[in-house]
Amino acid sequence: MSTRLISLVFAFMIAAVGCSREQNFDEKVLNLITPQKIKGFDPIYAADLYASNEIGKVYEGLLEFHYLKRPYELTPNLAESMPEVSADGLTYTFKVKKGVMFQDSKAFPNGKGRELKADDFIYSIRRMADPKLQSTGWWLLDGKIAGLNEWRDKNANAEKVNYDEAVEGLKKIDDYTFQFKLTKPFPQFLYALAMPFTFAVAKEVVEHHGQEFQNYPVGTGPFKLEYFDNSNRIVYHRNPTFREKFYPSEGEATDEAAGLLADAGKKLPLVDKVIVNIVVESQPQWLNFQKGSADLLGVPKDNFDQAIVGGKNLHPDMAKKGIRLSMVNALDTTYVAFNHTDPLFKDNIKLRQAMSLAYDHVESNKLFYNNTATIAQSIIPPGISGHKKEYKNPYIGRNLEMAKKLLKEAGYPDGKGLPELNYETVGSTVSRQQGEFFAKNMADIGIKIRISTNTWPELVKKTNTKTAQMFGIAWGADYPDAENFFGLLFGPNESPGSNSSNYKNPTFDKIFAQASIMQDGPERTALYEQLYEMAGNEVPWIYGMHRTSVTVYQGWVKNYKYIEFNHTQVQYLNADLEAKKELLKKF
Amino acid sequence: MTTYIIRRLLYMIPVIFGVSFIIFVLFNVVAGDPAPLLLGKHATAQQIHDLREQLGLNKPLFAQYMDVVKSAFTFDFGRSWATRQDIIEMIRQGAWPSLTLTIPAFAISTVLSILLSLVVAFYRGKGIDLTIRFLCIAGQSISSVAYILFFQYFFAYKLGWFEISGYEPEFPMFLSYVALPGIIWIVLSLGPDVRFFRTVILDEIYQDYVRTARAKGLGEITVLLKHVLRNAMIPIITYVVIQIPFLILGALLLESFFSIPGLGGITLNALNSSDFPVIKAMAVLSSIAYILFSLLTDVLYTLADPRVKLK
Repeated sequence: MSTRLISLVFAFMIAAVGCSREQNFDEKVLNLITPQKIKGFDPIYAADLYASNEIGKVYEGLLEFHYLKRPYELTPNLAESMPEVSADGLTYTFKVKKGVMFQDSKAFPNGKGRELKADDFIYSIRRMADPKLQSTGWWLLDGKIAGLNEWRDKNANAEKVNYDEAVEGLKKIDDYTFQFKLTKPFPQFLYALAMPFTFAVAKEVVEHHGQEFQNYPVGTGPFKLEYFDNSNRIVYHRNPTFREKFYPSEGEATDEAAGLLADAGKKLPLVDKVIVNIVVESQPQWLNFQKGSADLLGVPKDNFDQAIVGGKNLHPDMAKKGIRLSMVNALDTTYVAFNHTDPLFKDNIKLRQAMSLAYDHVESNKLFYNNTATIAQSIIPPGISGHKKEYKNPYIGRNLEMAKKLLKEAGYPDGKGLPELNYETVGSTVSRQQGEFFAKNMADIGIKIRISTNTWPELVKKTNTKTAQMFGIAWGADYPDAENFFGLLFGPNESPGSNSSNYKNPTFDKIFAQASIMQDGPERTALYEQLYEMAGNEVPWIYGMHRTSVTVYQGWVKNYKYIEFNHTQVQYLNADLEAKKELLKKF
Repeated sequence: MTTYIIRRLLYMIPVIFGVSFIIFVLFNVVAGDPAPLLLGKHATAQQIHDLREQLGLNKPLFAQYMDVVKSAFTFDFGRSWATRQDIIEMIRQGAWPSLTLTIPAFAISTVLSILLSLVVAFYRGKGIDLTIRFLCIAGQSISSVAYILFFQYFFAYKLGWFEISGYEPEFPMFLSYVALPGIIWIVLSLGPDVRFFRTVILDEIYQDYVRTARAKGLGEITVLLKHVLRNAMIPIITYVVIQIPFLILGALLLESFFSIPGLGGITLNALNSSDFPVIKAMAVLSSIAYILFSLLTDVLYTLADPRVKLK
């Protein structure tokens, strides 16, 4: 019996091994990995990076970030050109490209996609405001489009939301032209139109699929969804009805030498098929990449030493396989927030400064970021207007003597009289290690820290109810404008808003309110720089790092360039099948 | 026996009330507020209030509890708050990958463990017994994550015998994806299972009826298979059948490392996002499965041992 059983097990194993997927060289396929389950394809819920990356393959917006140019620059996508803006900065007139077709779907008559019109944008913007749908992107438009909040409020208790009622700030001029009318100047408005929240959906498709709409995306984008299992795999094919959109012919000065203009003028998308595998754990992500089954990957922290030598060069073993490396500053800031509703921190700037000086940023960079991050001097990361390169925060850079002096002046000599402080973090290994490191640093000046680990929902609950005394967190840019970061310290945004540290400073608030409605220019930059220094000197948080995005990609992947807002990136990527055949022999 | 079964099934009613109550209390006391999680980092107080209203979280607690009870009895769990998918459909989709991994692995590991424990019982006290016991204890002393990391690295990546991760729902494609995690499951199960079954079998081996059988001249293998094993079946059935409901819940770590889209991942995601309808559905369904399989255990007792009567 046991012999039979063992034979059965072996038969099972042999059969199993024989059924694996083979590499296909007949069509250009990109194999990607995403580390999180995808919640769905409804643009109005595109709050997380991973969902918005998938939404951006199928849906499109009026504008997009230029793929190659830096600093980031908006360029028309479904808009015929950049909008006409009225002199008072309140009215934006858009012309929509003609001949753009929605993908074929059974939601349309005869299953054939129809042409995109101005009405589709008006409808899509209204969906964001629909009180029954509770879009996660509503904050972008809240109070900014004339009549939209009134429409939302009016329909909040209605049985059915009335989409036929006119909204003053959303006006159709003709089939291909429409206007936004704002309630007040909002220079970041155009960024909103490049974000997936505002991408165009077709009313017929929304109504046809009802509550299942998020599983049946039908957009105008470069790829058409073929298969979707939100916890396993997503497969796209080139959209056969995609309009004539071409690879850019200009970029940064170094792009040509980097081969990034080799496909200039070619019709997009450049690959036939995209497979996105959902792989949560870092080991299988890394092994799949090492085996050539994944085309590009953000290097997992634990595999950093296998990928990088000397802190910035690709490991020779990987270079031999044709693999390439990209290391670029990401637009983010990590920090330890003080809760400013706690009188201990609110009224005691010297305590905050002492704690900041006790924190060892250099060691933290080595331990947690493989020495690739940039130590944050204030709130704005490099690459965004308002970041002041020459500013050195006097309270960043470990100085225990000064920290102890400030702690004494704060009323707590050697930490005496200061109660044990509570540091809240999530329960992941790295977050706990960061908490331990923080506690060790504070102990050096006599401050006792208790570390409380939470699930993410618990931590959010504590910050929203203002009960977290201190917490470690990070903020990534929604768009490349300092306003998106300074808003985190703007008093009226206090919890449960984005100012989760509940910092309040009337001078800061006044300057922010003034700067946030100004168009980009030297005057606004001067105000932003003022805010930047104020945010540094006041130490509302202990600033951490601006992290570096470290990505490796296979030698057969062409046109990869790091882009922070990368939901439209895949259409620009290419795969060289001949190179792939050759390079795979080295794996 | 029919009366017994009906009575046991009726016991499910208070159990479901109880389970609903515990989940409800835990959700309201321990778990985070789902509204800010669902609305994202820019949520305003007004939005949070409105969403709580829509989700029914502003209703009186008793009314909320009755909603939980109602859905538990009607199996209408609604839609996930996080993904807006129909929950029954989510469970249906997740159950297949979980079961394709857990059932074959569980069946093979159980049979293999019983066979090995018979072997060690046969050679009790001898080298083979000591070796297998040593391997069992040594195997149990290593973290399951270590097995997963090593097997995945060595057998899937280095030797290339298996897929590193992923899943295909169609037969026989799924075999290549569940084979390695299945083998890890078997390896992980052998240690505790063999030790337990060995103890159970040794308990029987020193009974009078075994001595009688040997005295009658029956061979040791016949004694083990026909007498000892049969009498050891009651604790074995208890041990084995009661594990089955947990197979439906999937194998969290294995599913996670091998990217198998099973119920383990669905449950974990629901916990991480305070997705109460999914947590509720998983808790209610698993407690019902637990009750049904413990009832099945009782019924199997009567088959294993005719002296057992269910009253």
